[in-house]
Amino acid sequence: MNEFLTQFVIESRELVEQATEGLLVLEHSPHDAERLDSVFRAFHTLKGGAGIVEFAAMERAVHAAEEILSGARAGKRTLTTALVGDCLACLDQVIQWLDAVEQTGELPSSAANTKADDTWLADMLERNPEVRAQVATALQFIPDPDCFYQGEDPLARITALPELLALDVQPMAAWPALNSFDPYKCNLVLTALTAASMGEVTAHMHGHSGTCEIQTISDVRTTPPASALPAQARNILTEQRAMLSHATAANLAGFVASAGLAAGNALRSCALAETAAIIAQATESSLSANSPEPLRHAISQLLSPTPAAVTETTKVSSKPEATAQTLRIDARRVDALVRLTGELTVAKNAAGHVAKLAQQEGNAIAGLLKDRQVVLERLIAELQESVLGMRVLPLRSVLQRFPRVVREMSLNLGKPLTLEIEGDDTEADKAIVEMLFEPLLHIVRNAIDHGIESLGERAARGKPPTARIRIRAARQADQVIIEISDDGGGIDVDRVREIARTRGVATEEELRLMPEMDIIDLVFAAGFSTAAKVTELSGRGVGLDAVRTAVERIGGRVSLESRAGDGATVRFSLPFSVMMTQVMTVEASGQMFGVPLDAIVETVSVPRTAIVGIGAAHAIVLRNRTVPVVDLAAILGLREAMSGETDATIVITSVAGHFGGLHVDRIGQRLEVILKPLDGLLTGMPGITGTTLLGDGRVLLVLDIGELLQ
Amino acid sequence: MDPQKTILVVDDASLVRLYYRTTLEGAGFHVEEAMNGLEALEKLLTFPVHLMIVDINMPQMDGLTFLQAVRRKDRALASIPALVTSTESAAADFEAARVAGANYYLVKPIDQPRLREFADLLCGVRR
Repeated sequence: MNEFLTQFVIESRELVEQATEGLLVLEHSPHDAERLDSVFRAFHTLKGGAGIVEFAAMERAVHAAEEILSGARAGKRTLTTALVGDCLACLDQVIQWLDAVEQTGELPSSAANTKADDTWLADMLERNPEVRAQVATALQFIPDPDCFYQGEDPLARITALPELLALDVQPMAAWPALNSFDPYKCNLVLTALTAASMGEVTAHMHGHSGTCEIQTISDVRTTPPASALPAQARNILTEQRAMLSHATAANLAGFVASAGLAAGNALRSCALAETAAIIAQATESSLSANSPEPLRHAISQLLSPTPAAVTETTKVSSKPEATAQTLRIDARRVDALVRLTGELTVAKNAAGHVAKLAQQEGNAIAGLLKDRQVVLERLIAELQESVLGMRVLPLRSVLQRFPRVVREMSLNLGKPLTLEIEGDDTEADKAIVEMLFEPLLHIVRNAIDHGIESLGERAARGKPPTARIRIRAARQADQVIIEISDDGGGIDVDRVREIARTRGVATEEELRLMPEMDIIDLVFAAGFSTAAKVTELSGRGVGLDAVRTAVERIGGRVSLESRAGDGATVRFSLPFSVMMTQVMTVEASGQMFGVPLDAIVETVSVPRTAIVGIGAAHAIVLRNRTVPVVDLAAILGLREAMSGETDATIVITSVAGHFGGLHVDRIGQRLEVILKPLDGLLTGMPGITGTTLLGDGRVLLVLDIGELLQ
Repeated sequence: MDPQKTILVVDDASLVRLYYRTTLEGAGFHVEEAMNGLEALEKLLTFPVHLMIVDINMPQMDGLTFLQAVRRKDRALASIPALVTSTESAAADFEAARVAGANYYLVKPIDQPRLREFADLLCGVRR
């Protein structure tokens, strides 16, 4: 992707975010002028960016939304929910385009060709010269061929356009012979010119099926050809004269001096240095006479007189806006830094090994080496800490997506809702923030779909018609707590019990003995879904068990509290920082285990005969050093110790200064995982420091090397 | 060849600034940037500028307010030619720019040859 496109995507995403946020506020307070200005400016800059990268489709789409906002700014229309929806839909389209640009590194192909196809517009304007002066917007509408089946009447719709000036109806493809003609297929291209604004036309065409191209006429207003240089100099001179007529007492000197300079420069640029000298002289005369007339006169003499149009002036207002002082870093670079820090840890371990070796051999610099190594160790630990700190993000980046989502669901389901978000400045590790959206979305969907009662039920229960969803985030010690509560009906324990029985999640017997809390908890069990009817929203085939799995994968917990008839609260307890541990996977007797990478010094392959028995134990001699070796499969009781002719793969480890070798069948890959300490029945199991969930859902046991080698 | 001319680009959109910079540097100009009118006013005081390319709609201080302020300064600053570039293309917008003291007005987007051409004209560069 070239530099412009990269910058375009980055900037556009920021603007889309800013606009989305502003639009959602405007929906509730449409008269917030400051917000309106900021949203308008965001759209405006988006359009400008699209223009630079020559993304005509996006430019037009954003322009249409900008028209709506500019109407609102001028007080000509109020931003209704429908209009805000249109603007948001425009942003959705922009996001899709940006995604496509990011993936392919180029503009979507459909975007490029639209600009070139302006011929219909030129034709239409040419055919209707008498209305040319009034035309504000042109429209080309190609109805969907099957539109008649959807009860649509394209002609009626287009003839009802506000302030229609001209209409042209043509066949899309040449009319076929009568015997093959299908009267139920629409084969029309409708072209229209109107005096209405683009916003009005867009609103009028809302909801049609087919393709619709709308253009403001200013879009095609041709600029004079840029070929002949004297012509451009003439344009500049004309402009200077027009500008001079606006000089006031306060700015006269500035106007005259700059107009004189601009005019002179233009002439010099066209190799007319002598004429430029005349202008320079006239400028000085104007300045000393304190009047623009001498300069105006000189310019006029160089030009044939052309009348300058005078219209009323407009005021452009602008409000101060805070700009964030942050440095933008590609997340991948931070991740690379984290990975490198991990590698550094491994290298440091190896250095420690060398220091130890030197000490044992009585080398003189062993002490120095050891000192340096301690310093290195401290620095690397600090580095690791600050690198992990760079990955901390506020939850806002996730939570700010919810107002939109909730708004959409509220409209779709016809349940009026307010969403309250608290503590969106709470920070958490990037890895956590990034995985949080899906699970949260699922919970919010469930709350709205199943938790919140229908309007009738709410009325019967004496609740206000507008339901409330609240997402609250807070930091508690080393945990981040996120609570999603609703004021709906809560969880129907009897129904949960019944479903659990019919779906075989729990037996009759188990259910009878289960306390109510545990029964409620069953909604997170695999194969459970309380939806009586599968709805568009939450019936997506993924149960709440997916939420629990996702949260547990990053070392968090999910709990659910229900207040019958009063709503429910789902609580995510998440670790603040995800301690990513690097492990190397090894295989023994067909099973996979993890070995923490910071315990590994090196891996070696030795002839099996090199493993010698010393009493009950085994050892190898590695670079004149005896290293005890244990057979992983044997020590874990998976099978008898190995013997044979092939080479043995041994992982040399170092824990607290003690070296040891781990004899394994195979070495797998390096992984970055979130280590979960053992809990439940496994607590305190020797030889295992923790578990981690792999991407494919398998559990990887991570070995405690210190204990194993004892 | 004339001595190198300095152009101050005043625009809040980083993409626009990048585009102008690339285009103009390619044509041999020295380019300085400001993100809004206030910053531009400060920068004008620190080095000589031969042309300002000014956007209208910007936070902090919009381009027209900025231009009005510049045209009221003493001659060294007030005489700097200004090219206003904006996506607005209504007659009223052209007029507002004129009243504020713009020497020329181009409607965005501006292709590279056109931008170079007007930079040459307004800086008096002969090629």
